[in-house]
Amino acid sequence: MSNDAPIPVTVLTGFLGAGKTTLLNRILTEQHGKKLAVIENEFGEVGVDNQLVIQSDEELFEMNNGCICCSVRGDLIRILGRLMKRKDRLDGILIETTGLADPGPVAQTFFTDDEMRAKFRIDGIITVVDTKHILQHLGDSPEAQKQIAFADVLILNKTDLVSPADLDRLEARIHKMNSAAKIIRAQNANVPLEAVLNVGGFNLSRATELNPAFLEPEYPFEWAGAYPLPIGTHELVIGHCHHDEHEHEEGHECTCGHDHAHGEHQHEEHAHDHDEGEAHDHDHCHHHHGNPDELDVVVMPVKSLDEKDLVTARDAAVLTFSDWENKVKDGDTLTPGGTLHRLLLKDGHGHYKLQIPHEGHFLVFEGCGEDPLHIHVAGDTVKPVWQKDFQHTHSHEDAVSSVGISEPGELDGKKLNDWIGKLLKEKGADIYRMKGVLAVRGSTKRLVFQGVHMLFDAKFDREWAGAPRTNTLVFIGKNLDRAALNESFKACLS
Amino acid sequence: MNLTKHWASVLDDYVIDLAWSPDGTQLAAASASGPVSIFKAHDGAKLHELPGHENGTNCLAWRPTNQKPEISIQKSAEPPLTSDLRPLTSGFTLATGGQDGKAKLWDTAAGQHTATAELGSAWVEHLDWRPDGSILAASAGRDLVFLNADASLRHRFKPAPKTLSAIAWQPKGGCLAAAYFGGVCLWDADDFIAQKEFAYGNGIHALVWSPDSKWLVSGNQDPSVHLWVPDTDLELNMSGYEGKVKELSYDHTSRWLATGGGKDACLWDCAGAGPEGRDPLMFPHDTKVCAVAFQHSHGVLASASQDGVLMLWSPERKQPLRATVKMPSPATKLCWSPNDEQLAIGSEKGAVYVLKCTD
Repeated sequence: MSNDAPIPVTVLTGFLGAGKTTLLNRILTEQHGKKLAVIENEFGEVGVDNQLVIQSDEELFEMNNGCICCSVRGDLIRILGRLMKRKDRLDGILIETTGLADPGPVAQTFFTDDEMRAKFRIDGIITVVDTKHILQHLGDSPEAQKQIAFADVLILNKTDLVSPADLDRLEARIHKMNSAAKIIRAQNANVPLEAVLNVGGFNLSRATELNPAFLEPEYPFEWAGAYPLPIGTHELVIGHCHHDEHEHEEGHECTCGHDHAHGEHQHEEHAHDHDEGEAHDHDHCHHHHGNPDELDVVVMPVKSLDEKDLVTARDAAVLTFSDWENKVKDGDTLTPGGTLHRLLLKDGHGHYKLQIPHEGHFLVFEGCGEDPLHIHVAGDTVKPVWQKDFQHTHSHEDAVSSVGISEPGELDGKKLNDWIGKLLKEKGADIYRMKGVLAVRGSTKRLVFQGVHMLFDAKFDREWAGAPRTNTLVFIGKNLDRAALNESFKACLS
Repeated sequence: MNLTKHWASVLDDYVIDLAWSPDGTQLAAASASGPVSIFKAHDGAKLHELPGHENGTNCLAWRPTNQKPEISIQKSAEPPLTSDLRPLTSGFTLATGGQDGKAKLWDTAAGQHTATAELGSAWVEHLDWRPDGSILAASAGRDLVFLNADASLRHRFKPAPKTLSAIAWQPKGGCLAAAYFGGVCLWDADDFIAQKEFAYGNGIHALVWSPDSKWLVSGNQDPSVHLWVPDTDLELNMSGYEGKVKELSYDHTSRWLATGGGKDACLWDCAGAGPEGRDPLMFPHDTKVCAVAFQHSHGVLASASQDGVLMLWSPERKQPLRATVKMPSPATKLCWSPNDEQLAIGSEKGAVYVLKCTD
């Protein structure tokens, strides 16, 4: 039968021993009536009768200009070129990579090579994660990070070998790195076939299936607390003070001033909600990020502790955090309102004067949630009457993260174009995947786009019809600057 | 110019390679699935079906001989009575390479497998006989070997830095050009030393020499064609293609280099100092060009595109287009008979057509 539709290609990545081959064999044995070809790395052990299995040695074509976005996989061009030469069409291709493979050039092969683009379509990158050993790989292997970052589907395998709490923590961490991927837990790679085949990860029309719920709002601060304060000048103390050491004898392992384990503690609603106390104990035990001798703080008056008023104050703080910072030395004074105070600390400590113009509730936002913060009024420590942790703006452990942007309104086509062009030129090497649905002024249709590194694909798909015109996009990459991305994106709104 | 169907046959799979015997009496056609069919040029009768290679055949090459090609085919519609009685030419050797990592030699008169060279586990993707027939060069993965005419090993070269993607004997026979991602090496036919090594920072898909051995040309992934004059180390890069260039053919005068890489057959004028600064001739198709082939000793170019269209061109005529035919399936390979009177075409659906070409 002649059929010119491109043949779907599924890429299986993951470290050695993660369970790629098990998954591959599962697909091959369960997949009845489909003619699949498997391109496996030279150490693979796939052996299923009547299936085409080709060994490959992952030959990278790196370009002289040093641009990683131009690298493609020469072996795939060659082998797929040969696989095209058959009268009967294949139903699909599975590419198993070694644990050390960078998925970037694999994906780029299907974008940049004219023939590959015409005859094949990359359907999805499936990354199998050995939940027992991934942590050590994440620490020392950029490939492991990339494999997670590039994935459309992440299979957390061997879940029977780790505790539920560890698994939750791992999933939270991985989700932070790649918030657009579907995460599936498995033992012995026992996932349903429909979860890994025909996932449409690179399908523009299905970029619209991007679930905004996955794009948890993230904030430029990590913690906020509400303090009832009288008028006057009080003391704001950062770091551990000898006189209040007793406060830390409550069983916390980490050197953290906030009271995490208590009931009033709240969380943003997550798509993946886990045991809060545990997850947060963990989060707060990380090393300080950024300059350890600086702490960004914003103090916002809040009318009441009603949700509505808290949200208003939170949003005002978000804006303030993107402002130019005002440096505050030890002993100096800070005031509530729209000023970003950058407290200069000495060995993690600092004493500042907090000038309160009127009695009321004040929200104190901390850029890094692990710096102990105390407010003393006339020598007494004031406890926060409400507090909350926020989704981190930057991951503590991983250079790889996701930045989701969800913004109502219409974009100026020219500004958008310039923005994307500049962004990819400057940051393309660090942006692994991106996708989104945009509303462009002047068009009644949704603009859907997706890309890998600097390679970018966009088209107008269906009408917005009655749906609210809004923009949803996600970037997954290394060292992403969330605030800058958000800000520069917002500048494209018309 | 008239193109008329002479005969046609069908293989079980994609026609992956096609070649006329040196005297033009036989046509060998390899199916991607493995079997190699030997047809009688005269009427398309299948003389033999050789088993070829397990998991698929990739390439084939007749061993050149000094025998003169059959000068003319019968002009009359009636075949001569003697044609079936005439003994088949013997002494022709066909080499094939396949996905079993082997190069095999066949006696096509007897339909017998005569020798095998095992190169390793990688696919044997490229074969080329030295023009005097003394050496068969074969590549598999990063390995290159020179085999004697009986398939015994003459020399095994050190593995190339990357998979060998094309090989081509210099028409004079002094060296073999072997391309890989990163460059082309010219291996001396007698001493097996590298005469020259030209760096090229991209993937190479095809190599061709001009018949006068002056120009060596690669078709590239980037997409471009790169020309070298090995004698003077001159290099030219001609870019501007829509897609990678896998189709290359030189005319017998060494002036015209025909290339694919887009919806046109693009011809570079290599006379004198070469194509730099000259606009190429563009012979348009409606879809991507998938094969180009100049005649051996005449000036007609055949070009084929993905829509099944085949066109003949005379580059130096005012009206270069000479003929157009449309086939049901795109061509995979175009092959002129040694006397340039017949054009063999392999197709993706397995059909082999032999067309007669008359003025």
